[in-house]
Amino acid sequence: MQQQLAQLVAAATQEASAVATRAELEAFKARVVGPNGSLTQVMKGMATLSKEERPVVGKLINEAKKSVEELLAALLVKVENAEIAAALGASVDPTLPSPDAPAGSLHPLSRTRERILASFRKLGFVVADGPEVETEWHCFDALNTPADHPARDMQDTLYMPKAFRSADAPRKADEAILLRTHTSSVQVRTMLSRKPPFRIVAPGRCFRRDAVDATHSANFHQVEGLWIDRDVTLADLRGVLDFFVKETFGADAEIRLRPSFFPFTEPSFEMDLRSPNLGRLSDRWLEIMGCGLVDPKVLELCGLDPQEWSGLAFGLGLERIAMLVHGIDDIRHFYNNDTRFLRQFA
Amino acid sequence: MKVSFQALSRHLDLAGVTAERVAEVLPMLGLEVESVTTFGLAPLPLVVVGEIKSFEKHPKADRLSVCQVDAGEGSLRQIVCGAKNFKAGDRVPVALPGTMMPGGFEIKVSKLRDVDSAGMMCSSEELGLGKGEDGLLILTPRQPAVGTPLNSLFGAPDTVLEISVTPNRGDCLGIRGVARDLAAALGLTLKPLTVKTAAGLAAAPAAADAVKFVRSSSEFCPYYTLRTLKNVKVGPSPEWLRRDLEAAGLRPINNVVDITNWVLLELGQPLHAFDAKKVSEGIEARPAREGEEIVLLDGKKVKLETGVCVIADAQRPLVVAGVMGGVDSGVTESTTDVLLEAAWFRPGEIRRVARRIGVSTDSSHRFARDVDPAGVELASRLATDLLIELAGAQVVGPAVVVGQPPRADVTIELPAGYVAAKLGTPVADADVNAAFARLGFTVKPAAAGFSVRVPSFRSDVTRPIDLVEEFIRIHGTDKVPAGRPIAPLPGDEDALTSVFTREVSARLVGAGFTECCHYSLRDAAELERTLGADKAALVAMDNPLTAEQTHLRASLVPGLAGALALNLSVHADPRGLFEVGTVFRPQADGTVREFLSVAFAIVAEPVTRSWKSREGFDALRAKRLLQDAAALAGVASVRLSFAAATGGLWQANHAAALVDRGRAAEGACGVLDLRWTRSLGLKSSVIAGEVCFPRSAFAEARKIPRFEAFSSFPPVTKDVAVIVPVDVAAAEVESRVRQGASKAAGKEFALESVNCFDVFTGPGLPEGHRSLAFEIRWRHAARTLTDEETNQALGVVIATLEKGAGWTVRR
Repeated sequence: MQQQLAQLVAAATQEASAVATRAELEAFKARVVGPNGSLTQVMKGMATLSKEERPVVGKLINEAKKSVEELLAALLVKVENAEIAAALGASVDPTLPSPDAPAGSLHPLSRTRERILASFRKLGFVVADGPEVETEWHCFDALNTPADHPARDMQDTLYMPKAFRSADAPRKADEAILLRTHTSSVQVRTMLSRKPPFRIVAPGRCFRRDAVDATHSANFHQVEGLWIDRDVTLADLRGVLDFFVKETFGADAEIRLRPSFFPFTEPSFEMDLRSPNLGRLSDRWLEIMGCGLVDPKVLELCGLDPQEWSGLAFGLGLERIAMLVHGIDDIRHFYNNDTRFLRQFA
Repeated sequence: MKVSFQALSRHLDLAGVTAERVAEVLPMLGLEVESVTTFGLAPLPLVVVGEIKSFEKHPKADRLSVCQVDAGEGSLRQIVCGAKNFKAGDRVPVALPGTMMPGGFEIKVSKLRDVDSAGMMCSSEELGLGKGEDGLLILTPRQPAVGTPLNSLFGAPDTVLEISVTPNRGDCLGIRGVARDLAAALGLTLKPLTVKTAAGLAAAPAAADAVKFVRSSSEFCPYYTLRTLKNVKVGPSPEWLRRDLEAAGLRPINNVVDITNWVLLELGQPLHAFDAKKVSEGIEARPAREGEEIVLLDGKKVKLETGVCVIADAQRPLVVAGVMGGVDSGVTESTTDVLLEAAWFRPGEIRRVARRIGVSTDSSHRFARDVDPAGVELASRLATDLLIELAGAQVVGPAVVVGQPPRADVTIELPAGYVAAKLGTPVADADVNAAFARLGFTVKPAAAGFSVRVPSFRSDVTRPIDLVEEFIRIHGTDKVPAGRPIAPLPGDEDALTSVFTREVSARLVGAGFTECCHYSLRDAAELERTLGADKAALVAMDNPLTAEQTHLRASLVPGLAGALALNLSVHADPRGLFEVGTVFRPQADGTVREFLSVAFAIVAEPVTRSWKSREGFDALRAKRLLQDAAALAGVASVRLSFAAATGGLWQANHAAALVDRGRAAEGACGVLDLRWTRSLGLKSSVIAGEVCFPRSAFAEARKIPRFEAFSSFPPVTKDVAVIVPVDVAAAEVESRVRQGASKAAGKEFALESVNCFDVFTGPGLPEGHRSLAFEIRWRHAARTLTDEETNQALGVVIATLEKGAGWTVRR
């Protein structure tokens, strides 16, 4: 009996080496442990044995059975591995480059804009917007710059013809329609439509009738801020700008407010920046934005009582900031759209 | 405005104050210094007067001369020179070896084309004296001794500060105004102005006057003075006067004109001098009459707008008031009697007229910024002093005056503590009042604070808030600390246009697209292609600067197509490009509406080769991106349908126009017009997409989605294939399938989806037909659907397609 079992296991082991597919595995399994399988037959022979022989033989059979089960388990792994290999095909060389295009990138002006907006959002400023084609009233008159005010000489303006009608900025009377020269017009629209207190930042495209060169562009972008509340002070202005500059240019950056003039703020300042981390522009005062307290006349023109409300406003050029942050020397790069430029800022 | 250090020193004792310090202080007062330059000859000890004894042509260079020069050293120096404007015996500046020239280079003994040269003879420009005549600075007429240091021939150098004066500071368009601010900042005292000519004005011309009347009938000239000066000797101005004008960037003309210009620079008050003999009877400031013309000093003939203020005699207009004089009434060499005008004109009108005529003069610039009415008579007296002193003029009597100074000093009631409240930091009233005193304002205590009297030269200071600015200018902005920390305001959200811009950009960047930024201003040809000629005219600007930028853009696609071409031309693989920005589109009602647009473009065939090929980009992938973008803007796909795009930017039969049932979005996607993109230099076809939304589409706050329960039972799917003529749109077939499937489900269970999974043309189908196969999926909320139910439902779908639409369902 013992010999018979040993032969059985040896035969099965030899036969197993030829098994390669699942069908062969099933057939082999039937031949050994199926209802008429070789091992099954031996087990059936147990019934004829004496009471004394049974434990001895039983033990031998169990050992043979265990060997066969191990054999079958190993065969199953072998067959499954073969099946997986067939399903997946050739192996992958992980060192090959991916044939798919990489992610794209945001334009440096967009990145700079989002960075600036994120700084101001921390201070509770939310984004507001308005039309790019504006009425003269929203762009100038409401900002305390009536026609024939010399401040109109500070910028040259692109106008639309008299017949032009804007769906977004309808005329009140017969005022001119123009391409906004600053996003301050959004301040006007916000003051007219919202109840203070509020803090807004208005990023957007502006236009001037300027010849294009390394620092001038027919269109450019501004980010303007407006905070209307009770008792807004110059100290608040300094606090907001100080925070922004440190966020954008690092903790080493310092600012100074240099008195200046804008028709819509009083007092008015140019904010200069000085930083040790600006390459060849390091450690000198650079003019980067205009700011001030909102002129009471502007509040009045926009329907707010200057006795009750006060405000601060500031405006910066997005191109200027992006050029400083990234060390870009020519504004035209932003509008050429050479991907060798665009992808440097991903 | 150019102000020299010496000019400032006339009004202030600047001992111990350097020009550098002045250049640091002025910007912090609001007077931005644009440049600091040296005027006159810088100290150049090694530049001396030399005499060219002889010269001959350079043996190896036609353009050079080899000169023998006596520089007073006892022997001659040989110097090679490139100039042509000299002759033997001329005296010229010679820079000896060792000289550091103003241009920053050092003169050395050297060889020029093999000939020794020991020094350099200098031109006016090389010496930093400005652009003189071409060639060497010839000193011969001055008869200087040979060997004299050049500096002893010229006065000490001056420093000229070019100041950018903001429009509110008309007072700083005169040197005295700048000096006044500087004095306030430095705590100095302004020197008094001494004028000999007596004050006092007469109401009518004296008998001896050159004119019989002086009148004003123009609302734009409320205050006019005119003085007669006789026996004037017109001639060149003295050296100091010429120097002062040149330092300020003006060209000396003759003593009379130079004096009026000098006073203008000094006090900021423009003056005008007439030749009395060319004036008929009298002077009147009056509105121009219809059809009147004038030939201006610059030779330009101007047709005068009726009503503008002119200064006229009994016959004709002589001057466009405050702007520019006529060619035939001014002072010339032969003038003997002069009428000196000093007046005040309405600022806004002067600016308007000057712009309309298209000239900007030193006069119009100042009048437009509101000159000090109190300075009118003073300027006239100062000029009279100089005309007497420098041109031998004789005064007939006091100036004749018409009208009144239009404004005077202003008194502002300043509440106590107001300045500190606006600064947000405590300041003592005494400090505030001291700053005002330094500016020349008079402060007196008043009931609720102070009353501050502001002299008329500061027309920009009229309100308490203006005084805050004045204080901070003098006090220093660095003394204001950063303010209180602030908390956000609850419930305040970014404008949805901004949120959308951010989200859609992130989506496209993730899909491999690179963001571009193009000019909004485009040329006519582009807009005609995009909109057609008629509509293109609606977005044309009134005063474009260049022919390339005449129209507002109506689409972002042309810019992107151009960027693809540009990148390929420089051998950069553009891959996909996109842009987000405003476009301007004419509407049916004749208005032009602004849309926030998102567009992308990509060449259909990959540019960069790869070891493993991927499917190229096609029109239907563009459609998916468009739908995703619309969804981010709150426009659900179910609202959108696509129809064939026609004309313009898009290729016929290969592009689709997007239609929004909600009438908010507009757009298109597919292949760009191939002839056009080929003309741009793009060989492969270009796939693009654009979807844009009016601002109003973003006006409503986004809805917060509500949870809807879903079935836990399995769905049942059935396939149906329909044979339809090829010209029947897939969307129409799908809509019919959906209709039948929905009807079959009734109220008992629900149609979950209809999905087109196969499109087939070829053998087995009738000519001109195609087969579209759809998978229909139904589900019951509360149980598993039975075979019987779903077979019955499929029957309803088939009936809808065959009996309803007349198509054949494949079995």
